[in-house]
Amino acid sequence: MSTAAEARFRIQAPPDTHRAVKVIDLDAATDAEITRLLAEVDDADLVLMLVSAGGNAEAAATIGGACSARRVMTHTVVVRAAAATDEAISKTLAQVRPWSLMVVVVNDDDYVDDILTSFR
Amino acid sequence: MLRSEQNDLLTQTGPDTPLGRMFRCYWLPAMLAAELPENDCPPVRLKLLSERLIAFRDSEGRYGLMDEFCAHRGISLWFGRNEECGLRCPYHGWKYDVTGQCVDMPNEPEHSAFAKKVKLTSYPLVERGGVLWAYMGPPETQPPLPEWEFATVPAARTYTSKRLQECNWLQAMEGGIDSSHVSFLHRGDINTDPLFKGAPGNRYNMGDLRPVFEVVESPGGLYIGARRNAEDGQYYWRITQWVMPSFTMIPPRGNHSVHGHFWIPIDDENCWAWSFDYHPTRDLTDTELAAMRAGKGIHAKVDANYRPIANKDNDYLMDRAAQKAGKTYSGIEGFAMQDQSLQESMGPVVDRTKETLVSTDSGIIMARQRLLRAIKAFTEEGVTPPGVPLEHQRVRSAAVVLPPDQPFKDAAREALIAHPGVAPASV
Repeated sequence: MSTAAEARFRIQAPPDTHRAVKVIDLDAATDAEITRLLAEVDDADLVLMLVSAGGNAEAAATIGGACSARRVMTHTVVVRAAAATDEAISKTLAQVRPWSLMVVVVNDDDYVDDILTSFR
Repeated sequence: MLRSEQNDLLTQTGPDTPLGRMFRCYWLPAMLAAELPENDCPPVRLKLLSERLIAFRDSEGRYGLMDEFCAHRGISLWFGRNEECGLRCPYHGWKYDVTGQCVDMPNEPEHSAFAKKVKLTSYPLVERGGVLWAYMGPPETQPPLPEWEFATVPAARTYTSKRLQECNWLQAMEGGIDSSHVSFLHRGDINTDPLFKGAPGNRYNMGDLRPVFEVVESPGGLYIGARRNAEDGQYYWRITQWVMPSFTMIPPRGNHSVHGHFWIPIDDENCWAWSFDYHPTRDLTDTELAAMRAGKGIHAKVDANYRPIANKDNDYLMDRAAQKAGKTYSGIEGFAMQDQSLQESMGPVVDRTKETLVSTDSGIIMARQRLLRAIKAFTEEGVTPPGVPLEHQRVRSAAVVLPPDQPFKDAAREALIAHPGVAPASV
């Protein structure tokens, strides 16, 4: 049943998911944007937080707490510039790890679009 | 998900494809050395990267890997006579040396020089660590011989097996970096398999079935960290290495041997799953070797053609009673076939336009994107892909306990490098 010939009989329509992904840039987010996101968490399937290494990730606790209470998946992408120090990345990870069920550390923020596309 | 053209780009490895050209930048495990056990032994047919090849070991122990078919009338040289430093076609006696050079053409006039003008495509084939490695790229960019640690330790410390996997290489390789499936598919085996059980760190696995994952870029590919709670607020990390294009290394457990895989395309619908076990500082025991040969751990029982005994024609010897009793999670026995059965069930080449990825698939997502970037840089600018430099190959997986705020990439920096004679970082 796993031959190339049998593969032709697979249902061709992609699965219907209608996933709701909320994205917030912690470095640039205003209080108003965070408040709005918190109001939208109920409707989200995934909240994706972006932050630079050494950036301001304090809001991760507030957002993560709201997601945890509503059983919403949290995913954080940390963009680590070449100049980022070990201390900077440690500080950021300490802030986001307790509130992130998935953490990705990348050297290039181009990956963010690719990750979002993968979650379509 | 991937777009259709991206899926094609990442799954097609023939000679004229972008990824096929990139794969040809590497020394690839082609055969077990045991397949050519002595001088003038029978030649072996094999297909790699969609090219049909013949391998042989000549009268002086030199290895040859070349076009399977005689330049004269297209006869398979598998029928050939391996004699007097060459492989001779039995049809009209044309004979080739290990470089593919025709050295004898007995149906031409005596002293004819025509043979010198006939040369089959051939590739270097060298033995290292009990494996025959092939380089199928341009001679001018041939890299130094591979330095994966499992292939450089003394022979008594390493064991390698291979098995046919009847699906595209990428879906097999993606299983190797999909750490989240371990808590489900393999949950019945960690405490029973002789090559896994008894490690102190196993208690963290069993005590926390919902690890948190962290994916970090490495010079050669990715580190994939699975984090579980340990004592005193610390984290137990299991760090998998993925090095481009298709090397993965599983974190060790206690003083067990360390293991990992290569997935090498045969063609676009089949691959070789290579599995290695080694220990950097001690010989493998007779008990361990016996278990590996019996298909325990990440190895599998195979037939003379390296096809698993449990395969899709017999539904992988599905045992519904064992599944129901919780002895195995899927009903299939053994880590290797648990993975392979499901990966083959996806079809020869899975259609990634239809998948529904979630956050725990981030390792897979990042690996695909790193491969796509490497293909683009290699194709458009000639950039040597990650995994070719030897320093990218001198890596280890690790299992460590670290304070909660530390990036594992930095805190475990030394543990992630292969230092000869130094024991692996393991719990």
